[in-house]
Amino acid sequence: MTGRERADRRQALRLLAPTLLALGALTVYPGFWVVWLSLQHRVPIFHVARFAGLDNYVFLASDPRFWNAARTTVVFTALSVALELALGVTVALALHRQRRGRRLGLSLLLLAWAMPSVVTAKLYEWLYHPAAGLVSVLLGGHALNWLGDPYLALPAVILADVWRTMPFVAILCYARLVTIPAEVYEAAQVDGAGRLATLGRITLPLLGRIVMLALLLRMLDALRAFDIMFVLTGGGPAGTTETLTVYAYRSLFQMLQLGFGSAVSVVVFALVMGVAWAYLRLLRARAVVA
Amino acid sequence: MRRVLLVLWVAALTGCAGSAPERGAITLVFKYARILGPADPLPGLLREFEAAHPNVRVKGESLPWTSDEQHQFYVINLEGRSPGFDVMMLDLIWVPEFARAGWLLDLTPRLGPGELRPYFPSTVEAATYDGRVFALPWIMNVGLLYYRADLLRKYGLEPPETFEALVRQVRRIREGERDPALDGYLWQAKQYEGLVVNVLESFWANGTRLLAADDTVFPEPERAAEALAFLRGLIASGVSPAWTTAADEELSRRAFGDGHAIFLRNWPYAMDLFQARDSRVRGRVGIAPLPRLARGPRGAGSTGGAHLGVSRRSRHPDLAVGLVRFLTSERAQKALARGAALSPTREALYDDPELVRSRPDLPALRALMRAGRPRPVTPYYLLLSATVQPEFSAVLVGVKPPGRAIGDARLRLTHFFGALR
Amino acid sequence: MRRPEQTLVDVLVLLALGAYAVPFFWQLLTSFKPETELLRVPPLLPSRLTLAHYSVVLEQSLIPRALVNSVGIATLTTLLALAVGVPGAYAIARLPLPGKGALLLAIVASTAFPQIATVSPLYLLMRTIGLRDTWAGLVLVHSSFALPLTIWLLVGFIREIPREAEEAASVDGAGTLATLRWVVAPRLAPGIASTALLTFLFSWNEFLFAYTFTASEASRTIPVALALFPGVYEVPWGDIAAASMLASLPPVLIVIGLQRFLVRGLVAGALKE
Repeated sequence: MTGRERADRRQALRLLAPTLLALGALTVYPGFWVVWLSLQHRVPIFHVARFAGLDNYVFLASDPRFWNAARTTVVFTALSVALELALGVTVALALHRQRRGRRLGLSLLLLAWAMPSVVTAKLYEWLYHPAAGLVSVLLGGHALNWLGDPYLALPAVILADVWRTMPFVAILCYARLVTIPAEVYEAAQVDGAGRLATLGRITLPLLGRIVMLALLLRMLDALRAFDIMFVLTGGGPAGTTETLTVYAYRSLFQMLQLGFGSAVSVVVFALVMGVAWAYLRLLRARAVVA
Repeated sequence: MRRVLLVLWVAALTGCAGSAPERGAITLVFKYARILGPADPLPGLLREFEAAHPNVRVKGESLPWTSDEQHQFYVINLEGRSPGFDVMMLDLIWVPEFARAGWLLDLTPRLGPGELRPYFPSTVEAATYDGRVFALPWIMNVGLLYYRADLLRKYGLEPPETFEALVRQVRRIREGERDPALDGYLWQAKQYEGLVVNVLESFWANGTRLLAADDTVFPEPERAAEALAFLRGLIASGVSPAWTTAADEELSRRAFGDGHAIFLRNWPYAMDLFQARDSRVRGRVGIAPLPRLARGPRGAGSTGGAHLGVSRRSRHPDLAVGLVRFLTSERAQKALARGAALSPTREALYDDPELVRSRPDLPALRALMRAGRPRPVTPYYLLLSATVQPEFSAVLVGVKPPGRAIGDARLRLTHFFGALR
Repeated sequence: MRRPEQTLVDVLVLLALGAYAVPFFWQLLTSFKPETELLRVPPLLPSRLTLAHYSVVLEQSLIPRALVNSVGIATLTTLLALAVGVPGAYAIARLPLPGKGALLLAIVASTAFPQIATVSPLYLLMRTIGLRDTWAGLVLVHSSFALPLTIWLLVGFIREIPREAEEAASVDGAGTLATLRWVVAPRLAPGIASTALLTFLFSWNEFLFAYTFTASEASRTIPVALALFPGVYEVPWGDIAAASMLASLPPVLIVIGLQRFLVRGLVAGALKE
C-alpha cells in the first residue's frame, strides 16, 4: 500500500466517522437494544425492570389479539400492495402515452403522495362521514358507517392507503418507461406488432424489474403501516384495523409495557427484514437461472 | 427563501404569546383542563389566591384536550425528570398510578383530623393509594339515567328499577308512539374509556366486578358474560340503535336532547343543556339511578371527575398544598358549581340554598353521587382499561361471543400483572 | 396515433388524474365552506366562500406554533443529514475502504428499519439525555431515517459524476476536502437539492416519532397537532380542513414548484441500486 493510499483511507475514515457514530447511536444500538428490551419485564413508570427470558414471546404465541393483528397486517399488506401495483402500472402507462400536460398530470398524482399521512387520514375521515361525507353523497345518500362498521373499516383504511401510495408506484414505473429507447417501439412497429402485442411483449417485460422493486418497497412500508389506521380508526372498531405496529405502539405507550411492546416490535422488525431477505434471495436465484 | 419567508410569516402570526411580566417572587404553575360553561370562574379564583398571598403568582397552564392526551403529557413530563409545574388536575383514575410512580406528594401528614369528612366517601377512596392520600377531590361526576318524564307519565310508568323493566317500557312506549325516529335507550359503546364505564356499570348491575380486592380479574366470569350479553342484546334487538357502538357522551346527549330517545345514560352535565332555554326537551326530563339487572342487588353509576394533586418535585410544596386546599374549599367549589355548572365533591353543597336556587337538580343528585361507585382503584387502571376496551367493543359490535372476549382479556391481564409483580 | 385522437387521450388522462386528486380538492373546498353548510350536502358547492376557518386556526389554535416547530425541525434535520451525509457518501463512493459494499448494504437496509422497532430504545435514550419534548430530540430521532436515506441517494449521485475532474484536481495537489468542496459539490448540487427535498418532506410528514417524543407546544409538529386537533362539543370539520391545508402547504409547493428535483430523488434510489 502506498503512502497516498494509506492517507486516502485515513481520510475516508475521518469523513465517515460522523456517519458511523450517528448511525451507530440512532439505528444499530437501538436495533440491538430493542431485542434486549423484549426479553425483559419493563415498566419504567413503576421502576419495573427485570429479565424475563422468552416470557413475552411465549405469551405472544397464545395471544389472540396478537394473532388478530398479524392477520390484519397480512390482509392489509396483500390487498393494498396488489391494488397499488395494478393501478400504478396502469397510470404509468397512461402518463407515458401523454404528449401534452405531463407535468400537470404528475403534479396531480404527486399531491396525494406528498401530503402528510395524517392529512390523508383526516381527509378520508371527512370523506367517510356518515351524513355529510362525499362518499355517502356519491352513493346516493346511502349513509354507511364506514369507520364504525367492523366489516367496512379495514377496506376503508386500505382505500385511503392505496390512494396515498399508488402515485409512488406510478412514478417509479413511469420513470422506467421514459428510459426505454424509442427505437425499441419503432422496431416493434416495423415487425407489425399491434398495440396490445407491444404492451405484452415489450413494455411489461421491461417493467418487470421495477415492478418487483416497487413490490418490495411497498411491502416493507405496508408491513409497518401505522399513521393511517392510528389516526383514522385508532385500530377499532373492535380491533378490526389493528395492525402489529398499532398493537406494539399501544402496548408501549398506552399500556406502558416497554418489554412486552418491544417484543411485538421485534416481530414487525423480523417480518420486514425477512421479506427483504427473501426478496434478495429470489433476485439472486433468478439471476442464476437467467 | 420561501421557507424563510414562511417562518417569518408564521412567527409574525403567533406573535409574542409567551412571557407575562413577573409579579411575585414565587410562581406556582397549575396545570388544568379548560373549563367549559357560561363563565369560567377559575381565573378569578386564582387571582383571589394571589391576593391572599402577596408574594405568590399562580400561572394557569392548560392541558391538551382529551383525557388520553393529558395522561401522555403528564407521563412524559413527570417520568424521570422535574416537571415544570406544581399543582395538577388529575382524572381520578390516574391517582393511584401516579402515586405508585412516585410523582405525587403524599398529603396524609398535612391533613387535619376530619379534613376529608365533608367529601363523598367514593372520591376519597379514589384519592387513596396504599392507605395514603395523594390528592383532594375537586370535581364530581356520576353516571345516571335520564328519562323522558312526559312519555313515562303518558303511559303511566315509573322510572325503571331493572334493565328488564326498561326494555319493556321502551317496547310499550314505542308501540304507542309509532314514531320510527324515536330510539329507546342511548348509552356509550364507542371503543374508548366511556365504553369501559358503561360495561362496568352493567357488571355492578349484575352483582359482579372487573377487579376483585385480591387483584383477580373477572372474579365471576359468568356474571360478567351475562351482563355483556345483555348489553349486546340491547343493540341487537333495536332497544338501542346500531350507532350506539360509535356513540360517546356528546353524540348520545345530542340525540336525546333532540327528543329522539326515551332513556339515556350520561353524566350530570347534560341536565343543564336539557334545561337550556332553546332545548327541545326542556322541562320534560327526569333523572333516576341506573337500574339493576334482574339478578343483581342494585344498580350504581360510576363515579368520575377530577382531583388536585401536588407534584412531589414541587419546590414550594407548602404553597402548592395551600392552593389545592383553597381550590377544593367550599367557597371555591361553590363558585365553580355556580359559574361552570360543575358538581362539587363536598356533600353539604348539594343542599346549599343559594346553589339550589340556580340548580334545582342538586338535592336529587346528592343521593346519586352518594351511591356512585369508583372504577377499580388500582395503579394499573389504564392498563386494565386499554386491555378490555377492544374486547368489550368486539362483543358489542357482535364479532365475538362474551365468554371468549372475557377469556382473552383475562389471559392478557394475567400476563401483564405477572410482569408487574 | 393521429393528432385529434392523441389530444382526446391526453385530456381523458388528465381528467382521470384530476378525479384522483378530488379528495384533496374536496378538503380544500371544505376549508372555505361556511360552518352552517358543512353538514348540509348536497349541494356540493357552497353558496359563498369564507376565510373563517383559517382565522380560527391561525388565531385560536396551536397550529401556527406547530408550523414553526415543523419548519424548524424539518430544516434542521435536513441540514444535519446533509452535513454528516455528504462527506460520508463521498467516502463511500470514492475513497478506498475495506468492506464498503457491506457498509452501503447495511445503510440501505437501515432505511427499511421499521420505526416501531427503534421507538422504545430511543424513548429510553431520549429520557436519559433529557431531550423529550425538544427540537433537538426530534431532529436526532428524525436523523435516524434521514441520514441513511441521504447517504444512499448521494452515493448514487456522486457515482454519476465523471471521475476525471477529481483526478485532475488530485494531480494538481488538491486535498480530499478541497476536492469535495470545489470540484464535487458544485456538480452534486442538483443531487443535493433532490436529497434535501426528500429529507425535508419525510421529516415534515413523520408522525410516529413526533407523536411519541413531543408533549407540548414546545416541540409538537404539525402532523401531531393536526391528529390531536381539539373539538369542544363536536368535530370542527372546517377548522380541521383548514389546518390540513396549512399542513400540506410545503409539500404542495414542492410538488408544484420543484417537481423535477423531487421526482429525480424519488426515482434515483430505486432505478439504480
